Amino acid sequence: MLVYTFKRLLACIPTLLIASILVFLFIHLIPGDPVAILLGDAATPEDIAALTYEMGLDQPIWTQYLLWLGNVLQGDLGTSIFFHEPVLSVIADGAETSILLALMTMIWIVVFGIPIGILSATRHGSWVDQITSGGAMLFASIPTFWLGLYLILIFSVGLGWFPSSGFPSISDDGGLLNIRFLVLPSLTLAAPNAALIIRLVRASMLDVSREDHVRTAKAKGLHPMAVSLRHIFRNALIAVAAAFGFTFAALVSEAVVTETVFSLPGIGRLVVQSILRRDYPVIQGVILIIVVLYIIINLLVDLAYARLDPRVSLK
Amino acid sequence: MIIMQRVLWIFKGRRLALIGLFWLCLVAVVALIAPLLAPFDPFEINPIMRLSEPGIPYLFGTDHFGRDSFSRSVYGARMAIIIGLGSVSVALIVGGVVGMLSAYFNRLGHFLMRVVDVLMAFPALLLALVLMTLLERSVTNTIIVIGIVYATTTARILFGMTLKLKEEVFIDAAKCAGAGHGALLFRHILPNLISPILVQASFIFAFAQLQAAALDFLGLGLPPEIPSWGNMLSEERIYVTRAPWLLIFPGALIILSVFSMNLVGDVLRDKVDPRFKLDIKGI
Repeated sequence: MLVYTFKRLLACIPTLLIASILVFLFIHLIPGDPVAILLGDAATPEDIAALTYEMGLDQPIWTQYLLWLGNVLQGDLGTSIFFHEPVLSVIADGAETSILLALMTMIWIVVFGIPIGILSATRHGSWVDQITSGGAMLFASIPTFWLGLYLILIFSVGLGWFPSSGFPSISDDGGLLNIRFLVLPSLTLAAPNAALIIRLVRASMLDVSREDHVRTAKAKGLHPMAVSLRHIFRNALIAVAAAFGFTFAALVSEAVVTETVFSLPGIGRLVVQSILRRDYPVIQGVILIIVVLYIIINLLVDLAYARLDPRVSLK
Repeated sequence: MIIMQRVLWIFKGRRLALIGLFWLCLVAVVALIAPLLAPFDPFEINPIMRLSEPGIPYLFGTDHFGRDSFSRSVYGARMAIIIGLGSVSVALIVGGVVGMLSAYFNRLGHFLMRVVDVLMAFPALLLALVLMTLLERSVTNTIIVIGIVYATTTARILFGMTLKLKEEVFIDAAKCAGAGHGALLFRHILPNLISPILVQASFIFAFAQLQAAALDFLGLGLPPEIPSWGNMLSEERIYVTRAPWLLIFPGALIILSVFSMNLVGDVLRDKVDPRFKLDIKGI
């Protein structure tokens, strides 16, 4: 296990390096002179020359990369063109919303996805299964923003149960009750992802149920419920845990859209607005953080996987 | 006739998927003959008739410019097919070449697949957004961007399969018979990959519809005047309380098409790889 952990950690280094090179190159791929774009139309040639020097853009590209990497490792992701603030603090402002949204979404996914998945697998082939599996696929086919718009129309405009947009911090007036602003967004975000988990739980439970130990458990007269929960579901969870990294990526993608629909002050909407404002340092910073997070999550998932299923680390 | 029989055989006992296939064919036909079906010019602005309710002569109502929503939906089918086929082709060609070459030439593969792995660490929509910032909003660029995003998964899958095929005895036999690299790759390996490629293509087609709609919604996809289902939703969303029907029709068209493609993809995958079989009657 220790050897495996060490190997897996080492394997992350080249991935991180290539990722950082790609993110670094992003600002150089923008058509035109990045400095002129950063300064806008009103810039004089002197301004451009001064900032080029200041940013080190007159240096060879490898020197530039190393300088940038050095800064990033010290937590300096540059300065936002729009906010005139360090990129890291701009991103930190959106973190509360995005993290709370992600947590709530994960709760819905677990609460809806796993029991429905188990139900669908234990009754596979029945009409219950047909409805849940078909429904899961239907939910995975709905554009996130469309679902969000109609949830607003029904539950905010029509019934008035939940607010339709924005999110005041939970440290502001209202405290924890402000969470109600996140109910509709988290449901929107959970729908397609819960659908994925339902399908995954179902598929891996059906896979496990063909194994020998399940037949033994049935043969010794265990209650069918005990067989499906203790012997099948627990083993099937390993495959579900392994898909967590994938769910994270899907969450991030759809959070961009969901936060835009509900005007939430999170990182997802920050990305979209930064793209529309051409605020390149912020885009670069957010992408770097998300990619590094994704690599770390995948590392943790792999390690957890090896811990849950000892066969993996022996291979 | 033989083709019809084969299709019916593949879809035996999967009624819902067969309906899905029928729907997709219908969309394709509508896309082909869009100018004949659309009663109005999809670009024609008619402010007096703005936001009229569905009825006659405006079957799906009119949008806030007074453009006929039905005609725009009909032309939207054309856009859906173009975006779908376009991004599938880009993904399969780029992903296929990278995946197969990487598996075939070890050293090149080591480097290329690392890059693919890293690109897969970028969430799909985020990668598409970043690429779109570097390019202008246009149909071609949207196709290229979505295609590249899904080229990574295609490359991964085909890499693994080529790696396995390479060790097969018939490849050794072909080598002994004097086949060169090109012949081995295209005459002996590629034909064995056709079915998984077809399955992959059907899922990319479905995902591409959702991605394109999301890009349109965020204002970073097709140019706003182009009648696509995603643009129709994006443009009319502020009128959702006054004219909810404007969002129902294009939304339903996207959902039906993506759902149908997923159903068809599922059937194809079960035929190619029975391990994943859903074994549900009817679906």
